[in-house]
Amino acid sequence: MRVTLTPKKDFKVPVEAETIKPDNFAGKNKSEIESIALWHGNKEVKLGSLFDVKVEGVNKEETKIVIEGDASRIKRIGEGMTSGEIMINGNVDMHCGAMMSGGKIIVKGDSDAWAGREMIGGELVVEGNAGNYLGAGYWGAEKGMGGGMIRVHGDAGDYVGGHMGDGEIIVKGSAGLLPGLDMSGGKITIEGNTTLPGGEMKNGMMVIKGKVLEMLPSFRFEGEEIVDSLKLKKFTGDLVRRGSGTLYVNLIPGE
Amino acid sequence: MELLIKNGVVYDPINEIRGEKMDICVKEDKIVSKVKNPKVIDANGKLVMPGGVDIHSHIAGGKINAGRLLRPEDGRKGAEPRGKLTRVCTGYSVPNTYATGYRYAKMGYTFVMEPATPPLLARHTHEELIDTPILDNAILALLDNNWMTMEYVKSGETKKLAAYVAWMIKAVKAYGVKIVNPGGDEAWGWGKNVNIDDSVPNFDVTPRDIIDGLAEANEMLNLPHSIHIHCNDLGHPGNYETTLKSFDVVKGRSNANRQVMHATHVQFHSYGGSGWKDFESKVDEIAKYVNAKKHVTIDMGQVMLGDTTTMTADGPLEYGLHMITGRKWTNLDVELETGGGITPFLYSSKVAVNTIQWAIGLELALLIKDPWKIALTTDHPNGAPFITYPIVISLLMNKQKRGEVMANVHKAINKRAILPSIGRELDWNDIAIMTRAAPARILGLDRYGKGHLGVGADADVAIYDVSPEERESKKIQSALLHAKYTIKGGEVVVRDGEIVAVPEGRTYWVNPEFDGESTKDMLGDLTGKFEKYYSVNLANYPVQDAYVPHPVEIKTKV
Amino acid sequence: MIITDVLCPFCGALCDDIVVEVEKNKIIEVREACEIGVSKMMGHERIATPMIRENGELKETTYENAIDKTAEILVNSLRPLIYGWSSTTCEAHRKGIELAEELGAVIDNTASVCHGPSILAIQNVGLPSCTLGQIKNRADLIIYWGSNQAEAHPRHMSRYTSFPRGFFSEEGRRGKKVVVLDVRKTTTVEVADDFIQVAPGEDYPVLSALRAILAGEENVVPSCVGGVSKEKLIELVEKMKSARFGILFFGLGLTHSRGRYNNVVNAISLVRELNAHTKFVIMPMRGHYNVTGFNQVCTWETGFPFAVDFSRGQPWYNPGETSAVDILNREECDAVLVIASDPGAHFPKKSIEFMAKIPVIQIDPYPNPTTELADVVIPSAIAGIEVEGTAYRMDKVPIRLRKIIEPNHLSDEEILSRVLNKVRERRGE
Repeated sequence: MRVTLTPKKDFKVPVEAETIKPDNFAGKNKSEIESIALWHGNKEVKLGSLFDVKVEGVNKEETKIVIEGDASRIKRIGEGMTSGEIMINGNVDMHCGAMMSGGKIIVKGDSDAWAGREMIGGELVVEGNAGNYLGAGYWGAEKGMGGGMIRVHGDAGDYVGGHMGDGEIIVKGSAGLLPGLDMSGGKITIEGNTTLPGGEMKNGMMVIKGKVLEMLPSFRFEGEEIVDSLKLKKFTGDLVRRGSGTLYVNLIPGE
Repeated sequence: MELLIKNGVVYDPINEIRGEKMDICVKEDKIVSKVKNPKVIDANGKLVMPGGVDIHSHIAGGKINAGRLLRPEDGRKGAEPRGKLTRVCTGYSVPNTYATGYRYAKMGYTFVMEPATPPLLARHTHEELIDTPILDNAILALLDNNWMTMEYVKSGETKKLAAYVAWMIKAVKAYGVKIVNPGGDEAWGWGKNVNIDDSVPNFDVTPRDIIDGLAEANEMLNLPHSIHIHCNDLGHPGNYETTLKSFDVVKGRSNANRQVMHATHVQFHSYGGSGWKDFESKVDEIAKYVNAKKHVTIDMGQVMLGDTTTMTADGPLEYGLHMITGRKWTNLDVELETGGGITPFLYSSKVAVNTIQWAIGLELALLIKDPWKIALTTDHPNGAPFITYPIVISLLMNKQKRGEVMANVHKAINKRAILPSIGRELDWNDIAIMTRAAPARILGLDRYGKGHLGVGADADVAIYDVSPEERESKKIQSALLHAKYTIKGGEVVVRDGEIVAVPEGRTYWVNPEFDGESTKDMLGDLTGKFEKYYSVNLANYPVQDAYVPHPVEIKTKV
Repeated sequence: MIITDVLCPFCGALCDDIVVEVEKNKIIEVREACEIGVSKMMGHERIATPMIRENGELKETTYENAIDKTAEILVNSLRPLIYGWSSTTCEAHRKGIELAEELGAVIDNTASVCHGPSILAIQNVGLPSCTLGQIKNRADLIIYWGSNQAEAHPRHMSRYTSFPRGFFSEEGRRGKKVVVLDVRKTTTVEVADDFIQVAPGEDYPVLSALRAILAGEENVVPSCVGGVSKEKLIELVEKMKSARFGILFFGLGLTHSRGRYNNVVNAISLVRELNAHTKFVIMPMRGHYNVTGFNQVCTWETGFPFAVDFSRGQPWYNPGETSAVDILNREECDAVLVIASDPGAHFPKKSIEFMAKIPVIQIDPYPNPTTELADVVIPSAIAGIEVEGTAYRMDKVPIRLRKIIEPNHLSDEEILSRVLNKVRERRGE
């Protein structure tokens, strides 16, 4: 089943739409989907009042949701999803794919902050840029991402993969400040540049294939190793907490 | 307004009613002998008990709020929207004030003692209690690490100490005297700790002296409750010896109405072994003592396996826990008075020590023969959040249920705990004693209408939709978690497990009368302390009446 | 009439020893307070009457009309933002939170533009701290990091930290060492024993270096971190370890430089780890006199300290999303109620430009730049001068503000209470 949603207007006040996920659409007809509840500001509204809905096919197994047009004011799309696929043909607002445990989300444009927050499985692909807190945790929670895969084709903002316990994040472009904060497992690859990676890192692995613009003073240089067919410098840290995380870096400041 | 609670199976241990089918009459906010034109509540086949009384639960004040602030990830766990009558609810181990009031009321509880308020921060505790709906409440003031207390204990000026205790209780609108790791927080001011016979740095007194001095002052003032103590050495292997020594400090004292020492969350104080590897239950020794003596009562401090937030005025203990787990840690030392700490904790069924801790709490309730000597608590939220009480009760009532849990936890329980060998099952009368009658009596509140259903008592009543014969744990738990009715002060506040009215609770506080001459001398010393060492002025210290909008003042005479 | 033991409703130090002389319901003299406190308490220009903007101009009106207009705006809003709170009583906070809940609004206080990052850091690692009297009596090492309290909290040092003689510090200033870390030589440096200049934005690596040294890993630390030499860093760590009782106060220099809340996480972690060697505590230098109070009340009533979104009934807390500046910069809200603060003077240009486009309600005793943006202006009585109530000092000690003179205006609490009633009336409740 393929469900296409087209926003009827530009929203200023954001819509909260964790109900837009294949788990919730599977086996429903057009009018049932139109009557799914969403929040627009402090009002609970029906999906049909904000989106044009088109339903094709009836296959319950494979539910695919396509959002056509601008979703940059629609938060929480795919939050908590366990299966199926969501394709967003444009930008998307915060919390896209947060807490997802299965299925796949493809964002053709940019994602705003907290995409893939606390994700435990499945795959999230952002073909544009990702905002801050990509694959991060919730305030105060000790573990962030616990599994699954996030790929960003463009750049990512600050604090990529904070408190990550498992899973993988690949950023093809550059990432902002302090990626991999308090990381205890999993793997983060940044193909471009970044700044101060690995603060409070306990375990897990980070690979920075571009340049680290600034290094923390609390990592130990261990020598060079070949990773992904690149010769990289290996560091261990963060020694502020006797961490044994591994940080592979191509170029360090001054190089 | 009149109510007739008809044909319930009533458990009212203070009045020696043990599962009798009878009617209870309510007029206005009191229990009466008969009513003329009542609204009838059909309680046929249901359990009827006095409203629950919690003797020790950290529900309000600086520590619990620091715990809430520390744990937004716990806060979001219990989030519920505003209702027609109810405010928003959040939290599991650190619920917001509204959730605290509603959840207790839904369990049939109507009185909760906030047991550890630093006097300097008492205004905060009262502010939170104003925002805690339904429950009647009171606070205990921390008076044991206070410089004034330690100096009077050292100089042996007991009358001035009593005058100080009286003044402080009145000044902060408290109900009684709390002792937490006596001397330990003053030592913690320098990053150290003490045990019962160590000398407190710079003050040249021992915790033993402090306990004895405060017990003497407490009895001199004739306060409704005894000293309420969290003993030294909490949570450490082998600490049962310290616990027994602490009990023994006051063995020569007596009071016609009650114990002279209430020791709280004794589960955390009943440990044997020389380290974590041979950590074991010493409940046999503790129970032997409590069974043989009259001067001490206790509460359980039951641990339930799962995640919670620990918080106590025992600063060094919380630091120690944080060092074990590496989890986040907040500390708040309070000038001249006390300290406190908070850290999250997971009691894991895979960890030997945690499993044995779980067993120890239950062992206390099962090996202490007289339920009047032991109140049911989890030291909320230290052992577990208070909403686990129904589970604790179902375990106490059902040996098979305990066996099912034991089969799925760390095997150390079979060798280093006593629980597997205990066959006792408590009955509803025991439960009614441990959850309302005993805590009320230990607190001295039975004389003020709490914990029973006799004529003249407060019309605080819990009605549970469960037959007294029911043995299935799930049914018991569900009935206790969502009372059929909770009546508070004659008003139905819970019906079918839902909140239907939200009256404001009342705050019980004690106004002790004491010898004017000693008070005058004491105030001279106190003024000096404020001028030189406190960071607030004496005139701004006492809690104003505005913070206790619904007071119940209890005057005591020497 | 002389009134003693008065609280100063200015900064987070919340001095409670002020002496005020009152004649004919006017304050004629203020003693003991700092210069800013005196000027604050002596009073200045007030908003005289309620006003509603018509055709671009604020026109005088009655409380009744202004409150009704406020309710109308709020009831019709899909995403109202209620912001401010730091210069009023906890009693007003409670009423405000109830209003926000009722409306399905977002409520936030000025912490989100000052010590919000500190709160986020505490949620990450905790806060080993104490009350200010503890420092007065015990501390022998006092560190100020990114905080120029000589100007922001003028009596902080004389009342609580460097100068007073305490129980265990009878020598007063002579027995205490004061160290300042900052990006520039502030006025606080003049009374310090040592000053360490940190390059702008380099607090995080400097803190990491200190922690690495403390953990015995000084070999990996480069010779210079963030503009500070390794020798200097080692010397500071030794100084901290050998203190009997150390305290680290930090200000906006730490919370608002690059790395933000993570700088504070790093600083708290350093202090936490120092406790394996000696007694060490840490405290944020909270600005407004009751900014802490709002965070306290909001936490016990909602479970969360600030930036709480009630739009879906149950609270959602996510600073960066539900904080005032973020909501305004993203143009998410469609009405703002500002109380006891001045975002018009302190918010980024983008936020202010958006405020100019949507309905703004101001409740405040004083005219300020926010008044220029407001469509409804409701004057209130001054908390701590004309209204009594609770405030929490920076160390979370609650003290009761005194009422010194009779007000000519309604209190914040009363105004909010009337707004709430009007909201319910308009909704037919």
